[in-house]
Formats: sequence, C-alpha cells, structure tokens
Amino acid sequence: MNRRGMLVGSPNCGKTLLFNRLTGLKQKVANFPGITIELAHGPMPAIPGVTLTDYPGSYSLRALSADETVAVEQFHAGLASPEVSHVVCVIDVTRMEKSLYLTLQVIRHARRKGKHVIVVANMMDVLDAHKVVLDLDGLARELDAPVIPLSARTGRGMPELLDRLREDPPRQVPEPAPQIEINPELLIQQQAHRLAGKYGPRGDMLVRSQNRMDAFFLHSWFGGLAFFAIMYLLFQSIFTGAAPAMDAVGGGLGAIAAWLVPLMGPGLAADFTSDAIFSGVGAFLVFVPQIFVLTLIVGLLEDSGYMARAALICHRPLRFFGLTGKSFIPMLSGVACAIPGVYAARAIDSPRRRRLTYMAIPLMPCSARLPVYALLIAAFIPQTTAMAGLVGMQGLAMFALYFFGLLFGLLVAGLASRRDVAADADVPFILEMPAYRMPALGPLIQKSAHRCMHFVTKAGGVILSVTVVVWILGYFPNGGTDLGSSWLATIGRVIEPVFAPLGLDWRYGVAILTSFLAREVFVGTLGTIFGIQFAEQNMVPLVERIHSSGMELASGAALLVFFSVALMCVSTMAILARESGSWKLPAKMFAAYGAAGYVGAIIVYQLLSML
Amino acid sequence: MHTVPLWTLTKGQRAAIRGFTDALPDSYRQRLTEMGFHAGEVVTCLLRPAFGAPRVYRVSNTVYSLDEDVAAHVMMQPLEAGA
Repeated sequence: MNRRGMLVGSPNCGKTLLFNRLTGLKQKVANFPGITIELAHGPMPAIPGVTLTDYPGSYSLRALSADETVAVEQFHAGLASPEVSHVVCVIDVTRMEKSLYLTLQVIRHARRKGKHVIVVANMMDVLDAHKVVLDLDGLARELDAPVIPLSARTGRGMPELLDRLREDPPRQVPEPAPQIEINPELLIQQQAHRLAGKYGPRGDMLVRSQNRMDAFFLHSWFGGLAFFAIMYLLFQSIFTGAAPAMDAVGGGLGAIAAWLVPLMGPGLAADFTSDAIFSGVGAFLVFVPQIFVLTLIVGLLEDSGYMARAALICHRPLRFFGLTGKSFIPMLSGVACAIPGVYAARAIDSPRRRRLTYMAIPLMPCSARLPVYALLIAAFIPQTTAMAGLVGMQGLAMFALYFFGLLFGLLVAGLASRRDVAADADVPFILEMPAYRMPALGPLIQKSAHRCMHFVTKAGGVILSVTVVVWILGYFPNGGTDLGSSWLATIGRVIEPVFAPLGLDWRYGVAILTSFLAREVFVGTLGTIFGIQFAEQNMVPLVERIHSSGMELASGAALLVFFSVALMCVSTMAILARESGSWKLPAKMFAAYGAAGYVGAIIVYQLLSML
Repeated sequence: MHTVPLWTLTKGQRAAIRGFTDALPDSYRQRLTEMGFHAGEVVTCLLRPAFGAPRVYRVSNTVYSLDEDVAAHVMMQPLEAGA
C-alpha cells in the first residue's frame, strides 16, 4: 500500500517552502468551492511510494470561520486514513509559543489515531545567524516525539527528516481518549506557554531587525510613500509588465487563426472557428499573462513579509466601508481586470470581508471598460482645456468615471456590510507580522502557473458556452452576412423598448447584449453594425457614425453610467461563482448591479434631457 | 489593580495581560489566547502608526498588529520601566 504523510503547521512557519523541497514542486493542488483553502499533494522523489499532503497553516484545530472548519475537517479525515503513516508538524523555532499550541493539539489527536508525529524545528538558520542554541532534545523528551532541527531555506536537516520519513513505523495502538477531561484546551495552552518559556529563544534579539524595518515601512510618512511606490509598481506591472505577453498571446492566436481558418475553406466551420473560438475564447485567454504577473507579484509581497504591512496601512480607511486592509490589493487589481482581483481576494482570511470585497471588485473601473469610456467620451466630450491647458475636459471626464467606479464600489461594500448581521462568525483583525524574508522565486512561479491553469480550466467552459450561444444568435439565419437581420438583431428589436428610456435604438441594444461577453465587445459590435472595420483601433469614423445616428449627449452619459455599474462580464461571473462556491452571489450581483445601472442611466438621461 | 485597554499603551510601553472585557466575542478571545495573549503575558507596544491604523505589539517573540475593535477589549496592567 502507498504511504502518505501529512504536513501541518501554523501560518508563516515555513511549511510550504519545506513542502516544495520535499516534493520538488511536482504537486497537485485541490481547491474547495467557496473557500480559499488549498490542499497540495505531491510525491516525494527521495522516497518512492510516499506522497505528502500540505494542509493550510492554522493557529489551532478549533475553527472560527467556514474556511477553517473545512481545513480542520480535512485534517481529521487525513488522520483517519489508513494510508497516513506520519504527521510532520512544523514549528517556527523563532516564535515557538504560537507554534507549540497547534503542535500539542496535533500530537494529542494523532496519538488517538495511532499516527506517528515528527516535529520539525524550522528556521534554524535564523537562530544560527544570531548564535542562539536551543535544547531541542529536551523539547523532544517533553513532547515524546522526535524534534528535527531544520532550515527549509538552506536545506539543513533535510537528510535527517527524510530518514525519519523513510521508516515505515509499526502501527501504534491508538491511545484512548480519557473518560473525563477538564478544559483540555486550557491545559494545552498552559503547556505550550511553559515549553516555549523553557525551550524557546529569549529576549528580543530575533525581532530587533524586523522592528527597525517596520519603523520605516510603517512610518506615518515614509511608510506611506513606500506604500504608494510599491503599489504603483504593482499597478504598472499588471498593465505594462503583462502587456508584451498579452500581445504575444493575442498575436499567437491571431497567427494560428490566420493559418488554420483558410485551410477550412469558406463556410460555417471556418466562421465558427474564426469568430467564436479564436475571437471569443481568445479574448479571455489574453488575460492569462495578467493573472500570472499579478499572482507572482502578490506572492512576492506575501513571502517578503510586506503584504501584512500593506494590509495594516490600508485597514483603517477600508474598515469604514466594512472591508479590511487585505481588500486593497484585490480592489487595486480589479482596476486592471476583475478576474485577477477576485483571485487575489483569496488572501482575505475573513469570509465575510472577502464576500464584501467580491462585491466591490466588479465595480472597479476595469480595463475592459476603457474602450467604451474612450469611445463615448470622444463622441460627447469636447477636446477643450481649462486652467491654461492644464486640465483637459476629456481627461477630466475619464478621471471622473474612474473615481465614480472606485467610490461606488466602496459604498456598495459599506452598505452591504451594515446589512450583514453575521459579524460574530467573523475572524478578528489580528495580523501576525511575519519577519522580512527574501522570497523563493521557484515555488511562486509554480503557484502563478497553477492559478492560470485554474482560470483557463474552470472559467473556460462557461465562457465558451456563452460565446457559442451569442455567436449562433448573431450568425443565423443569414450566415453571418448581415448582423442587422440576425436573430440577435431580432432580439435587439424586441427589447428595444427597454433601451428607449435611455434614448437608444435597437443597434445600441444589440451592442449592449453582445458586450455581456466582455464589455469591450460593445465597440466592435457597433463597428460591425455601422459597417466600420477595426473600430477598436480607430474610433474616429465610429464617432462620426454615432453622431449621425442621432444619439445625444444624454444617451451617451446614460450609457456611461450603465457601463460603470452593470456587471456584464461572463468571465468575472464564472470566477466569482467558482471562488464563492455557488452562482448565488454573482447572480444577485448581476441582477442588482444591472438594475442599479439601468435605473441610474434612466435618471441621468431624463435629467440631461431636461437641460 | 489599575488596568487600561491594550489600545491605550504608548510606544515602547510594556504591560501584563489581566483579562478581556465581556464585550469581546468568545471567538475573538479564543484566537487571542491561541496566539499567546493570555493572562500574565507581557505585551510591548512597538508602533502606533498614524491615522488610527492598527497598532503593533510584541508578545513573546511574535509581533502582531491589532485593530482597535480587538485591542480595546484586552485589559492590561502597565509595568514600570525595567520591570
């Protein structure tokens, strides 16, 4: 029978780095719908036939949130498995007490299932650097379990750990649970405190350098400047760093389409391959590099220890809106694209505040809105300047739209937080400030690649289905020769009364319908309807056609409000459904934001029409 | 015994934990004790960032940041300098 080991430990104890060393990055990650915990499984190349499972970092086996409950249930299920031969419990020797509380709980439960526990005393390189020597043999005697001094960073102690894991220990007789236990958690807490005092490092030597760096990074002024500089670099990386790769993906898909489609000859198959597969599905694949870059940089910030400081800096202003400091990065990412933003929200440990962040992200002014904003601003806002040319009216309009999106997202989260009464089930804002460390790049690249694969495999099916439906409606019954007489146009005319209060005719209705694939499709569809090729690249002829179509400023402003508020992105909804565990939240958001955008647009149109 | 909330400690001030207020939810109390915030433990206030941001405290050899929602409910007995 294949054997399995379990790897457990408290947050920030270096457990994942050890897991990567033991499995050589050949791992599979299991996600659980609706929660952010991940169980990673991987074979250990050094010990054939033995796999290792990495459990989420936890301060204890007493769960507070839904995420923690699933993590603890998975831990107990693992202990009950006959395949499991060892439980490896990692402690951070520089911060022993918080690690020992979990370790004592793990030892207690493992013994009741007859499992062997190996305690790994990680971060020995830090103690060595400070010439601190601990009596780990004494700790092993008190725990009645082997304690292996190790550094996951340098590899020290790895041979000893592998020797222990190679042993196939005879199954122990499970220890029976005592008949009467008076407050066992208090006893464990007292024992952890006593052992940490007796065997842990003393004094503040180990946190002194951390304090010096915190004095800068959390300084009222320097810390703020450093924060803005780092966030600026993050934002630039999402937009400009990922741009060449996004262009390469788009160009590569275009080249394949240009080679493949002519081979198929004219007809339905070629049109479907060109428009539905390459244009439709390809439009979402170009976001993969952005997700990769964002995940990588967020991982670098987390592993370096800076993310906890960034969360602290942002916490106060975001708390006013029911959010947490950890909501900032996902919301900032949402300005580039909601999809990586939703993924980045995994870092929020509070399920309640994560849900509120999910609600705010799709309202951020994402890059897909940019072409729509650019078209409508070019059509209706004059290119005049004010204040001696310092302020351009079109730029001001774009800024106002971005500011409106950010503010509206915060207001929605704030309102929803005041209606949410389940605050007691939340986890408190107690943030461990990890030591500053140099990140390990290899595992971060692997994690980023995994996140991209998750996006492609999980969202791809939904996006393909919707793309195919919209394509069929636009293609038939005339074989794609005239969108104006397609089934989609028929639907557009049927629903024309819906858009009439905004002063829009069926052509804009059809463009809005197709933009539910992705907002930027609005521009391309209008171009198709008005017979203008490559409208996305050159908007001037399209702007002229919009003017000649009789569309007025009031309708343009109404459309801007609608696009700012409505949730119109199938990819975002698919990822939201996956990450939140059901379609309930994205369906509610779709209905609520759609209704709010529509009503807001009518109000704006009616008000401007009266002027 | 003179006790003050953890939130009111000044930068560099040390104090021993004496307990929690009744208003602190049980789940929060549980998480705090798991992290080492239990009666008798000495806590040092390391940083008080501006604009009401969460404050930074050292417990044993671990550094935590606590929001006012939590730190206002941890009751401390201030220690004399050098104690």
